[in-house]
Parts: sequence; structure tokens; C-alpha cells
Amino acid sequence: MLDVKEIDAAYGRAKVLHDVSLNVNRGEMVFIVGRNGAGKTTLLKTISGLMKPAKGYVSFEGRDTRGLTAVKLARLGMRYVAQDKKVFGNLTVRSNIELAAYASGVAMPSAIERVTSIYPDISKFMDRKAGGLSGGQREILLIGRAMVGSPRLLLIDEPTEGLAAIVIEDIMRILTRMKEGSEVSAIIVEQNLSVVNRLADRIYIMKEGKMIREIADKAQMTDTSEMENYL
Amino acid sequence: MIESAIYGLTIGAILYFVSIGLSITFGTMRIINFAHGMVYALGVYFFITFLPRVGGNFVISALLAIAAAIPVGYAIERFVIRRLYGESLDYAIIATYALLLIGTDAIKWIWGTVPQQVTEPIGISFRFFGGGFPLYRVVISLSALVLFLGLNLFFRKTVIGRIVIAALDDSEGVQCLGLDVNKYFSIVFVLGSCLAVLGGILYAPISAADPYMGHDILLIAFAVVIVGGMGNLTGTFISALALGLVIAITGRYWSEAADTMVFAVMAIVLIYKSYKA
Repeated sequence: MLDVKEIDAAYGRAKVLHDVSLNVNRGEMVFIVGRNGAGKTTLLKTISGLMKPAKGYVSFEGRDTRGLTAVKLARLGMRYVAQDKKVFGNLTVRSNIELAAYASGVAMPSAIERVTSIYPDISKFMDRKAGGLSGGQREILLIGRAMVGSPRLLLIDEPTEGLAAIVIEDIMRILTRMKEGSEVSAIIVEQNLSVVNRLADRIYIMKEGKMIREIADKAQMTDTSEMENYL
Repeated sequence: MIESAIYGLTIGAILYFVSIGLSITFGTMRIINFAHGMVYALGVYFFITFLPRVGGNFVISALLAIAAAIPVGYAIERFVIRRLYGESLDYAIIATYALLLIGTDAIKWIWGTVPQQVTEPIGISFRFFGGGFPLYRVVISLSALVLFLGLNLFFRKTVIGRIVIAALDDSEGVQCLGLDVNKYFSIVFVLGSCLAVLGGILYAPISAADPYMGHDILLIAFAVVIVGGMGNLTGTFISALALGLVIAITGRYWSEAADTMVFAVMAIVLIYKSYKA
């Protein structure tokens, strides 16, 4: 469903991605691991349409995405969940979901049902300002918000970064449910290898802006020693 | 002193009308928009042009001037500002300052350089604590309060308002939901232009209309935005009223320093913010 072909991307003159290729099949959960500065976030931003590739192209559901904005790609079913747990902090949790519902043309009760089906406890915080939520609650809200309107591909950047073990378990449960449903494909940037090897269908390793290895073999995925060398 | 306070609240109210558009523009689009001063001045000259043609009716002339300013604001956003999203702030400063200069020269060319007086529309004063106060100034101050409450309702209760509030937090996040922020920015930009024109019209009877009026108020309006916090709607309201009071009270005792004191306050706030950060 997604093909990234030999893309380069840069911030001004600083080239960050070099000839990067990857692909994601329908219902697949693909992880990208690599050190800080390896270009993982830039890759997700380029796929999502927030950055334009200097070379190469991205094909989503058979459609060349060159010339498509992040807004158009989101409407086609691609949702990017940024790192840093950036919710709309001055709005309530309900309003955060409301905007996702409005954007997707989904009725608000269905949107709320969708998000609470992912994480029932969120109903307790509906009228709280999203900026006052804990890091874990914010991440869950971001994933829930992105799931409104039945997206086809989620791009999730460091979902467990900086979270306590108990919250990581909550996020793991959400991602596991998502994976079992096979309703949505995902590319997840993650440095927590216990999360990666429990959920990954395939793993890509990035280093210094290059895709240096793809691991598709289950036995290799559970052995994290090789991946640790790249973190 | 009460006289100065009422005058200060009047100035503060005008500053709020002018600054709120700047604050939202910077908060959402990260654009420093000098052309705001051009729209402000142009709107006042539209008002002065319409006023004799509608039998001196202040309200109708104001509405016509605001309506005439809408395409100007839209054209600036559509053809200049939108091309500057994501670019360096320098480009925005140069492009919008050029528009301000072009607008000022256009005003001089069309309406001349002589300042033009506008008659105060209410013309009623009342006595309070032994002083005489024009009712018009109280109306201006109250209208700023009504605008503040109205904008709060707009931003909290309407979907468009919530999208703008969300974009102030995370513009990319809004785009990644599939919402075209540019469309909403255009609406807000034009709204900000209309409010600047309204502020200029309300201020015209207190000062006078001259081609450089946009330049004069713009720097103080930027100070309001910086002190109040860029994109902070409540902060802009409080900052506008506070700096209005600073201008009026300083002007009463040391008129030469009235505007300078605004920038002294701005410097103190910036130092405090950097210290706190």
C-alpha cells in the first residue's frame, strides 16, 4: 500500500535522507529504529507530505504523492502522529476529537465511540484541557484522534518516548489491538526494542540518513542485539 | 488621574482592535505583517470618503469602509502572505513593509498629505469626579470589552475558532488531520484586517487621519503583541489595555516619553520572559 522509492530530503542545504526506500503492505506494522539524528522523523514527515523529497517519490495506494499536500494525504487516509506528544493543548480532549471528526466528516458520537473503544479511560478526561494531560494520556489522545475516520496508514513517531512502563503497556495494548484488527497499516518510529520485537511485522534500521537494513525474519526480530548496535 | 485612566483605556481599546489581528497572524502563520498598518490607514480613508456620501452616518460609513477593506485584506493574504508561509521572517518583513510603503504613497496620491479631521459621532460628555469625560471614549472602551468577549465566544464555540486555536498550538497537527489551515488563516486574516479598520475608524475622531497613521500605530501594536504573547488572545487584550494606560499616564506627566515608555515596558517583559525561560 505504500512504496517509498529512493528518496532524498534536506533542510535547506543539509541533506538528511539519502536514497531511502521502504514499503508497507496492507495491515502491516513496520518499525523503524535508529539513533537520534538518523533521519527517522524526516522520513515520516516526507511520507506524510509535510516535507517534499528532493529526489525519488512516495506512492500511496498506487498513487504518486508528489504534488500532494499533507492535508490531501490525510484526506486520502494517511495520518501522521508527531513526536513530543503535541496535542491541541488549549482545547479540551472533546474538542481535539471534534476537530478530527470534522476533518473526516464523521459524526461526533461515532468519533467519541471510536476513541473510547481504543482507550475507555479517556472518557474520564473529555472536558479537561488536553494540555493538562499526562504524556501517556496525550499520546493516547493523539493516536485516538488519528484513528477517527478509519485511516489506512498511520505514521507514528516515538509513541513510547519518555513514558513510564505502565503507560507503555497501555500504548502496547492499543497498538496490539490495532494490529490484530488488521484494519490499518502503520509505520512506527521506536527506540524501545521490547515494543519493537513484540509488535513488528518487519523492521527497518536507519543510520545517518540511510536505510541500512531490513529485518523480516521473526527469529532475527526477537534477537535485539544487532538492533542495539544502531541505537 | 481618572481622566488619564479613561483616556488610557480608550487608547488601549484601539490598540486591542489593531493588535488582535497581528497577534493571530503571527501566532498561526508565524508572519510579521507590516501591511496591517496599510489596511488600517486605508480603511480610515475609505471611511472618510464614504462619510459625506451617506449623509454623515458614522455607522453606515464604517460598515462600508470595512466592506471595502475586505478585498484588500484578502488580496494581501492570498497573493503575498500565503507565499511566505514557512519562509524566513526576513522575507515577510521586507514584503509586507513594502506594501505598507506602497499603501502610504497611494493614500498620499489619492487623498493628499494634509491630515483630515473626523467629527466625534456622539458629542456628549458627562461629569465624573469633577472632570468632564466624552461618552464616545467610554463607548470605545466598552466596545473593546464586547469584542474581547465576542472573540472568546467565536474561538471557543465555533469549529472555525477551534481550528484556529488548534493551529496556534500545532499547525502541522491540524494539517495532518486533513484540515486546510490556509483556508481558515485567510478567514482569520481578513477578520483581523476588518478589526484594524474598525479600530482606525474609532480612533479617527480622537486623533486625525494622516497617511502615516498606519506607521505610527503599528510599532506600538507590535509591542502589545510581544508583551501579551504572540497568539495569546487574552494576553493581547490585557497588554493592550495596560500599554494604553502606560501611554496615557506617562503622557500626562512627561508627554515626550509616552511612546518610549511602551517600549521600555516591552523590554522589561522580554528580559523577564528570557530570565523565566
